[in-house]
Amino acid sequence: MSVLDLDYMLGLVPVLLRYLPLTLQMAAAGMALALVLACGLAVIRVLRIPGLNAATLLFISFFRGTPLLVQLFLFYYGLPQLLAFLTQINGITATIMGLTLHFSAYMAESIRAAIVGVDRSQTEAALSIGMTNGQLMRRIVLPQATRVAVPTLMNYFIDMIKATSLAFTLGVTELMGATQKEAAGSFLYFEAFITVALFYWIIVELLAWFQRRLETRLNEAYRR
Amino acid sequence: MLKRIVLTTLAAGIVSAAGLAQADDETIDETIKVGMSGGYFPFTFVEQDKLQGFEVDVMEAVAEEMGVEVEFITANFSGLFGMLESGRIDTIANQITITEERAAKYAFTEPYVYDGAQVVVKEGNDTIQSIEDLKGKTVAVNLGSNYEALLRELPYADEIDIRTYESNIEQDTALGRVDAFVMDRVSASQVIKEKPMPLALAGKPFSQIRNALPFRDTDEDRALRDRVDEALTTLRESGELRTISEAWFATDITSP
Repeated sequence: MSVLDLDYMLGLVPVLLRYLPLTLQMAAAGMALALVLACGLAVIRVLRIPGLNAATLLFISFFRGTPLLVQLFLFYYGLPQLLAFLTQINGITATIMGLTLHFSAYMAESIRAAIVGVDRSQTEAALSIGMTNGQLMRRIVLPQATRVAVPTLMNYFIDMIKATSLAFTLGVTELMGATQKEAAGSFLYFEAFITVALFYWIIVELLAWFQRRLETRLNEAYRR
Repeated sequence: MLKRIVLTTLAAGIVSAAGLAQADDETIDETIKVGMSGGYFPFTFVEQDKLQGFEVDVMEAVAEEMGVEVEFITANFSGLFGMLESGRIDTIANQITITEERAAKYAFTEPYVYDGAQVVVKEGNDTIQSIEDLKGKTVAVNLGSNYEALLRELPYADEIDIRTYESNIEQDTALGRVDAFVMDRVSASQVIKEKPMPLALAGKPFSQIRNALPFRDTDEDRALRDRVDEALTTLRESGELRTISEAWFATDITSP
């Protein structure tokens, strides 16, 4: 107990590697869907589309205002008691849905802020030379908004990868679930959890490296 | 640029979602879906990615006897009854104790394990010798387990600081964060014997426990329950249940 069991940790690595793809797939699917949803929500908020705007505010308020774990339990265990066909949804799908709804609420606000943050004079200049609204968005506003939004969106992606560790409460054995079960079999808690911590840490560091490269590219036009 | 990022993530997302949907879509003639925590040594646990334990062996024998496939679904203990309720599993094999509340709601098989509740302390802690000594102490139990209810029924329950855990109660007792934990006697002795943790049994077991498999209380599920019961009876009479028990515990826990 007093000495770190390195052999056990090494033995755990190939086991955990088997569950890594599922963790990454759930996060990637969640992120892709959340991006789409968040863009839609952000546009509604920016344009203040009547009716939809109020619905969007309620959506964001609920999904930002309640814990992800509560939302997951609500979808997976709660709603099927009211609507039986929801039992068809498996744990993986429920996790992806939960991640999508939860994180899109946050992301919508940061995308909205990035769009609104593009100086108004840019819009005026674009319109003055005869650009259409579509051209204005595509050529002027969105490229600048992307540069502002990327760092925060990457932050949410990182958070989402770690949030997949809640999936075991829905019966999905992903990285964390596999570790918990292995730890229960060996009782080597420190070894098991430090190993899985390193897994998450390394993934996030790889992403951070990718983010730095992406930001450099997006900043090219601004370099002096 | 934005378009490319969105498209790439989208593509990755869709591909993986499609892959996941497919991976989950298997249809075998008849499968009994058994939920368990995978985190309750030696009943259900994982070593090198292999799910094993007493419950696994029993359920495999039951399924073979019934001539059906068995599928094990692992989830955190607190999620298991939700899965049963929402029809995602047929039963739970995780040393589920028959309690009044549960018996009112679920259709149980006949008991297949007889056991007692046991107080476990950190080695060298001799201030606790019986359940009366739990007064004024901090005691860990697993969230949603019946040991919590057992403790709360004690006349001096309000003098005990009961802490509920998702997992790792052995570890927190060994670390001294709580004074004791309560678990069934069989797995408690097993933990102490096999695992490198400074723990000791405190006193005698304090309540008889009968464990069985819960099913939803519907006509269809009661019919399934009856078939499982039949298989369990056959296994008990052929001595196979005892053999499985002795392999894991060196004693027969399947009869009173």
